Amino acid sequence: MSIRQADDPYQSSTFGKSLTLKVDGGFNAISINPSARDVVLASRQGLYIIDLDDPFSPPRWLHHETPWQVADVQWSPHPAKPYWIVSTSNQKAIIWNLTRSSSNAIEYALHGHTRAITDINFNPQQPDILATCSVDTYVHAWDLRSPKRPFYSTSPWRSSASQVKWNFKDSNILASSHDNDVFIWDLRNGSTPLSKLEGHQSSVNSIDFNRTRGSEIMSSSNDGTVKFWNYQSGGSTESTRTVRTDFPIWRGRYLPFGNGYCVMPMVGGENSVYMMSLEQSNDDAGETKSNNSSSNSTKLQPIYTFKGHSDRVIDFLWRSRHSYDTMVDDREFELVTWSKDCSLRLWSMSDILYDKVNFERNKRLEEKLPNYEYMTYNREVHDTMNSDDNEYKRIKETFVTTSGLKNMNNIDHLNWLSGVRMNDQHTPDDLFEQPKLHNLGEEVSAIGHKFPKVVFEKISVSTGEILLTLNGPWSENNPDEYIFLRIEINVPAHYPHRGNPPMFNIEENGNLTDATKQEILTQLNEIGKVYTDEDLYCLEQCLHYLLGEKVNMDLNDNINEPLFFLDVANSVNFDEFSSMSESIESVESTESSMDSGNNVFTNTFDESPETRNTFGRNLAFDSTPVPNECGAIWTPSGKLLCFFSTENKPDRKQKHFLKLTRDNLMIKDEPKQETRVLYDDDQIEYQNTTNNRPKRYVDTFSANDSKSRTTDVTSDRDSTSDDSFGSFVDDWNDIVGNDIVVRTRIPTLLGNFAKSFGSVHSESVKTGDSSRTAKNIIITKEFYSLFQEDKRLALEYEIMNEHPDEMARHNALVAEKYGYEEISHCWQILSDLLLAEREQSFTSFIWNNNPLGIRWFIKEAIKHFEKENNIQMLAMLCCVAANLYISKMNPVDIYNVQESYESLVTFELDDEHDPWRNEVYSQFSVGNTIQSQNDSFIKSKLLYPHDNYSIRSDEMVNNALQTPTARIANNRPPMPPKRNSNIGLQTPTLHRGKAAQVNIELIEDDVLESFKNPVGNIPDSADIKKCQLYIYQYAKLLFKWGLPYKRVELLKVSIQAITEHFHEESFDLEDLNRVNNNTIEIRWVSTYDDDKTVGNCNYCNLKIKGSMYVCGGCQHVLHTDCANEWWAIGNECPSGCGCHCPDQYNLSS
Amino acid sequence: MVSITNAHNDLIHDAVLDYYGKRLATCSSDKTIKIFEVEGENHKLIDTLVGHEGPVWRVDWAHPKFGTILASCSYDGKVIIWKEENGKWSQIATHAVHSASVNSVQWAPHEYGVMLLAASSDGKVSIIEFKETGTSTPIVIDAHAIGVNSACWAPVSYQDVESDSSKPTKELRRFVTGGADNLVKIWKYDNDTQLYVLEDTLNGHSDWVRDVSWSPSVLLRSYIASVSQDRTCVIWSQENNKGPWKKTEVQQDKFPDVLWRASWSLSGNILALSGGDNKVTLWKENLTGNWEPAGEVQQ
Repeated sequence: MSIRQADDPYQSSTFGKSLTLKVDGGFNAISINPSARDVVLASRQGLYIIDLDDPFSPPRWLHHETPWQVADVQWSPHPAKPYWIVSTSNQKAIIWNLTRSSSNAIEYALHGHTRAITDINFNPQQPDILATCSVDTYVHAWDLRSPKRPFYSTSPWRSSASQVKWNFKDSNILASSHDNDVFIWDLRNGSTPLSKLEGHQSSVNSIDFNRTRGSEIMSSSNDGTVKFWNYQSGGSTESTRTVRTDFPIWRGRYLPFGNGYCVMPMVGGENSVYMMSLEQSNDDAGETKSNNSSSNSTKLQPIYTFKGHSDRVIDFLWRSRHSYDTMVDDREFELVTWSKDCSLRLWSMSDILYDKVNFERNKRLEEKLPNYEYMTYNREVHDTMNSDDNEYKRIKETFVTTSGLKNMNNIDHLNWLSGVRMNDQHTPDDLFEQPKLHNLGEEVSAIGHKFPKVVFEKISVSTGEILLTLNGPWSENNPDEYIFLRIEINVPAHYPHRGNPPMFNIEENGNLTDATKQEILTQLNEIGKVYTDEDLYCLEQCLHYLLGEKVNMDLNDNINEPLFFLDVANSVNFDEFSSMSESIESVESTESSMDSGNNVFTNTFDESPETRNTFGRNLAFDSTPVPNECGAIWTPSGKLLCFFSTENKPDRKQKHFLKLTRDNLMIKDEPKQETRVLYDDDQIEYQNTTNNRPKRYVDTFSANDSKSRTTDVTSDRDSTSDDSFGSFVDDWNDIVGNDIVVRTRIPTLLGNFAKSFGSVHSESVKTGDSSRTAKNIIITKEFYSLFQEDKRLALEYEIMNEHPDEMARHNALVAEKYGYEEISHCWQILSDLLLAEREQSFTSFIWNNNPLGIRWFIKEAIKHFEKENNIQMLAMLCCVAANLYISKMNPVDIYNVQESYESLVTFELDDEHDPWRNEVYSQFSVGNTIQSQNDSFIKSKLLYPHDNYSIRSDEMVNNALQTPTARIANNRPPMPPKRNSNIGLQTPTLHRGKAAQVNIELIEDDVLESFKNPVGNIPDSADIKKCQLYIYQYAKLLFKWGLPYKRVELLKVSIQAITEHFHEESFDLEDLNRVNNNTIEIRWVSTYDDDKTVGNCNYCNLKIKGSMYVCGGCQHVLHTDCANEWWAIGNECPSGCGCHCPDQYNLSS
Repeated sequence: MVSITNAHNDLIHDAVLDYYGKRLATCSSDKTIKIFEVEGENHKLIDTLVGHEGPVWRVDWAHPKFGTILASCSYDGKVIIWKEENGKWSQIATHAVHSASVNSVQWAPHEYGVMLLAASSDGKVSIIEFKETGTSTPIVIDAHAIGVNSACWAPVSYQDVESDSSKPTKELRRFVTGGADNLVKIWKYDNDTQLYVLEDTLNGHSDWVRDVSWSPSVLLRSYIASVSQDRTCVIWSQENNKGPWKKTEVQQDKFPDVLWRASWSLSGNILALSGGDNKVTLWKENLTGNWEPAGEVQQ
C-alpha cells in the first residue's frame, strides 16, 4: 500500500478510511479547508496545516506565540478565499493568508475587542464579512475590506459572549450566546436584539443555525440540554424542543447533510461524539406535543456514537467531497475529531447513517454546490513567489530532522510519522501487540526510533524518497573503524509488493572503496529483493546490514520451516569435502580469542532445540543478547564470586574438534551421515567467523538449529541411532581414559580430518564426558589486599574512647600491625595532635598556636580518603571528630564522670586566684550562652591533679546542665546570642598581666578558639551530613562483615554527636530518624563463631548468639527471648539507661 | 575457597551470595536455579528451583529484612519471585509484563521497600513494587527501542549533600539502563509526579551495551560502569549527584573480547569485569582518576 497525493478529492488516499494522527502540542482549536483536504490546528505556538491526503508529510507550521490559548480558528468557507484562516490571539483576531510564506502570513489583525475573543465566524455568504465575540460582552462584525474597525457592534452588556454564528440563509442575521441566553441580532436593527432565547439553566456553550431552515437555531449548554428554537415564531422565548443528556454539552451542531445533529460532551460522555437524527424524533415530538406541551423534552437518542478517544473531544467537523460542477447532491462526508488526547481522527460514514438522517444522496440540486480547488496549503510558500501570481507551485520538500541543515518547520518528522496511523481504529495500546506496519510511513517511523543514530535528512513518504546518513563498519583497513555513509533510497509506489524493491544509492565517499560500495549495494538489493518477494518491509533489515549487523535472509525461517538445511546438505558431496576440511583448518588458525565462545554455547544448547519459538515470538525481533558464560560478582563480604564455563579450558579449536569427534562417534554406525554432521558443524563455524561473533541469542541458536535439525534427520534415517545414543553415552563413561574408540574411528575419516584429530584426541577423551554436561565451575576469590577497608582493622579499631588521642594511637598500632603504613601514619599524626590538644602541653604550642591544626588535618585527611574511596577511614575520621565533639559537649552522658572530671582547675593556685577562677567561670557563662564552653573548659583541664581549691566538676557540670536555658534567657539580652566569643576573648586579656606567670591566657585562647566553633573538629554543618553518610555506609559494611556490635558502637557515637549537634542548632531531625530507624530495622538472624563480634545481653548478661534486638534509642542489645521476657514485665531498658526501648521500635518486627 | 563444579547441566549465567554470605543462588541455561548453603570451604545443595521455561539469566536476593526471597528472570519473559519458608522454596509471585526475554532483575535498595527493577529485550524496563497488601503495581517504561540489556539501581542518596543543611534533604532515587541502541540512560524518580523520568542519556558506546552497574558507594561522586559488545568499558562519574556525567574509559585499547558483566565491590572501589575471553579483570581508580588493573582471575 502506498500513499500518493491526488489532485482530485476522489483520488484521496485517506477519504473514507479511518486515520489517526497524533499531534502533540496542546492544540485547542481545529478547522478544515472547504475543499476538505487540509485541516488547521491552532495552539499557543501557532498553526499547523496538515494535509489529510498526505498525513506523513510534516505539517506546515505558522509560528505565532500567544500567551493565551487559541479559542477558535476557522478556515474561510468561500471558494474565493480558500487561503484565508482566521484565528484568535487573545483580544485580536488574525487573518492568515496561506499563499504567503509562513513568516509573513498574517494579512490582517482585527483589533476591536478589549478582552479575549471567544469565537469567530465567517459569514457563509459574504467572503469578506466575519463576526467575532468576546469576553468583553461585545459582538463585532468586520468587513475585511476595511479591517480597521468593526462595521457593526452590539452587546447585551451584562455577560460575556461565548459563541457567535451567522445565519446560513440571511446574511444580516447573527446569533450570539451570552451566559444562559442566546440573542438573535439583525445588522439592520442596531443593537436591539431581534429575539432573546431564554431557558437554559446554565451557560450556553454552543449555538448553530439550521442550514436549511433559516429561523431555526439550536443551543447546547452546560445544563446538559440541547434546545431547538424557532426565533421567528413571534419572539417566543420558548424552545420548540429540548433534548436532555447526562453530561454538560460542549458543542452541538446541525449536520451539514440531512436532518440531524451532533453533540459532544464537555466532560464525561465517554469522550464520544453523538449523532442524532431529527427526523424520527420530530415525529415523536409531534406526537407527544399534541398530548403534553411540556413533554417536548426528550432524552438523547443517538443513532450513532463515535467512540474511541481517550480524552475529551475538543471539536469535531465534517470533511466532505462531491464531484465537480455537479447538479446532483453526491456529497460524501467524513467526521473529523480532535481530542485532548492529542489525536486527530477521521471517522468514515456509512450509508445507513445517511439514511437515518434522511440525507437523500443524488438528489437534484437547485443550485450548484460550490467548487473548491482540491489542493493543499501544507507546503511552505517562499516569499519569492508573490501572492500576486495565483499559482502555488509545489515546493520541493526540504524537511530535515536532526542533521545540521536548516530546518524550516522545526518539527521532528520522525515523531510526526510515528503519530500517523492509518486503517487503525484502535491505537495499539496493548503492550504485547507487535506493531504491524501498514505503510512506508510507519516503517520509516519505526526504524527511525529503532536506530537513533541513523539520521534521516529527508523523508518524503509521498514520493518515496528517503535520504539518510549513518556510520557503518565498512572500512577496509580497520574493521573497528566506522565510515560515514549517505544513502539515498527510492521506494517505488507499490512497495513492498513483489517486484518492487527499493532502490539504493550510496553517495561518493573518499573513505569507501568502490569495491566495498558495490558490495554493499549488491547486498542491499539482494535483501530488498528477498524481502519484497515475500511482500515484507525490508528497510529495517537494510539498516541492520548497513550498520554491520546480521541480517536474517532466511525468511522461511519465520514463515514456515522448509528443510532448508537439508537441501543444502544433500547438495554437498564428497568432492567438496576436502575443501571443507581445509576451511576448518583455516578457521583453526584464524580463530582467536576475539571470537567469543559461541561454539560452546551452540554446542551445549543442542540438547534443548525446542527452546526456539517456545514463547511464540518472532525471532527476527528478538534482541536478547548472547548470554554470558562467565562472570564475576562481588559478594557482600568482599569476596569475588566467579563462575566459568569450563574447568580447564581447552583451546577453542580443540573444543570445536572435540565436538566433531563426538558427533562422529554418535553415528559411527552409518558413515554416510558423517558428512552431513560434519558439514553442519562446519556451517556453524563458518557463520561464526563470517558474522564476527553474533550478538543476539537467537543467532546462536539458529545456527544451533541447523544442527539439531540435521541430527533429527539422522535419527529419522537411522532408527537405531536413537537407541544406541543412550548406550553410547554410558559406554563412553566407561571408556573415559581410554582413547581406543577414538583411534579406531579415525581411519573411517578422510585424511585431513584424521590429522587434526590426532592432535587433540587425548584431550577429547578427558573432557568428552563433561562436554555433554557443559562443565562449569563457581569459585570465590579473596582480594582483601585490594581493599582499603579491612575487616581485621574493623575488628580491632577502637571507635569510642573518651581520650580520642589514645584511640588514635591504638588504631595506629592496629593499622601498623596489618601493614597499612599510610593509615597508620595518619592515625599517628592524629594521635599527636589530639594529645597536644588534650594535654594543653605548653611544649606543643606550635600546634596550639595554629588552632586550625587538628581541624585542618582532619579535613585534609577526609579529602584524601575521599579520593581513595576509603570508606573505613572516612568513617573512622568522622568518628574521631564525633568523639572529640562528644567529649567536649556532653561528657556526663557517655563516660564515667567520676574518674575523668575530678577537678576543674588544676593549677597550683594561691588563694588569691580563687576570685579569678570564679570570674572566669562567670565570664563564660555570660559571654557565651552555649553550654559546651563549660564542658570544653572542663575537658581542657582534665589531667591536672586534684586540689582543694577546685570546684567539683560534677557540680559545675550539673549547674551547666541544669540551668542552661535559664542562663540563656538571662544573658542573651546584653549581647548577641551566638558567635560572640570575641567578647570572651577580650575579657581574659584583661587578666593577662595577672595570670601571665602561668600562661593562663594561652590556655584560654585555645579554649576560646574552640568556642568560636563549638563543633570543634567537624568543620561545619554541611560536613555533618557527609560524616553521617560515611558512618552510615561504614555501618552497612560492618554489618555485612558480621560485626554488628562494632556497628552499634559506631552508630552510637555518630548519633550522639549528631543529636547534640541537632539539639544545638535545632536541626531537622529527619535524617537522624533515618539513621535511627536503620539501626533497628535489621534483625540479626545469623550466628558467628567469632566471639569478639557479639556483645552481651543486657538482661541475662550472656553472650549473644543468634537473633537479637537492638534498641533504636540506646543501642542496648538483648536476646530475642530475653527481650520478650523482660518487656513482658519491665518498662525500662534492662541496662538501666532509662530508655523505653519498645517506644523506639516495634519488638515484633 | 568455595569451589563448586558442575552445578548445572548447562552454562551458568549468574551466581549471587545472599546478604550474609551463607547462601548461594546460581542460575543456568538448564532453566533451573540452584540454592547452595555455603559454609567456609564446604557447600551443600539445598534446593533446585524449577519453574522457568527458558534459560534463567539473572537472580537477585532481596534484603533479609523482607524474608528469604529470591527474584529470577528468564528468557521466557517472566520474573519469578521465590520465597523460602520453613526450609521450603515456593513461587510467591510471577511477573509477566514483558513480551520478550527479561535480561536483568534487581531489587531496589531496601530503604525503598520491596521493589524490583527488570529490564527486557522488548525495549522496556519495569519497576514492580510489592505492597504490604500483597498487590504489586508495575510501572513500565519504554527505555531502549531495540531492547534493554541491563538495569541497575543507584544506591540511596540525597540531593545536595553539600548545600545548606537547613533545607530538608531530598531523596534521590535513580537507576541506570543500558540497551541495544548503544546508549546508557539515567532515570530519576520524580517525587511530585511519582513517575520515573529520563534524566540523562549517555552516548559512549558503538555497540550494544551489555551491562550497567552503579557503584554502591555513596561518596560524593557517583560511578556507573557500562560494558559493551564493542569491547570497551566506560566509567561515568558525576559529582554530588548533579551536573554532567564525565566519561572515562577504563583502558584506551579495546578489551580482547566482548564484555559481559561489570560488578562493583561493596565499598565501590574495585570493579570486576568479565567477558567473552572467559577471564575476569579487576580495576581500581588511582589518585589521578585513571583506572588501572588490579588483578585477574582465570580458572
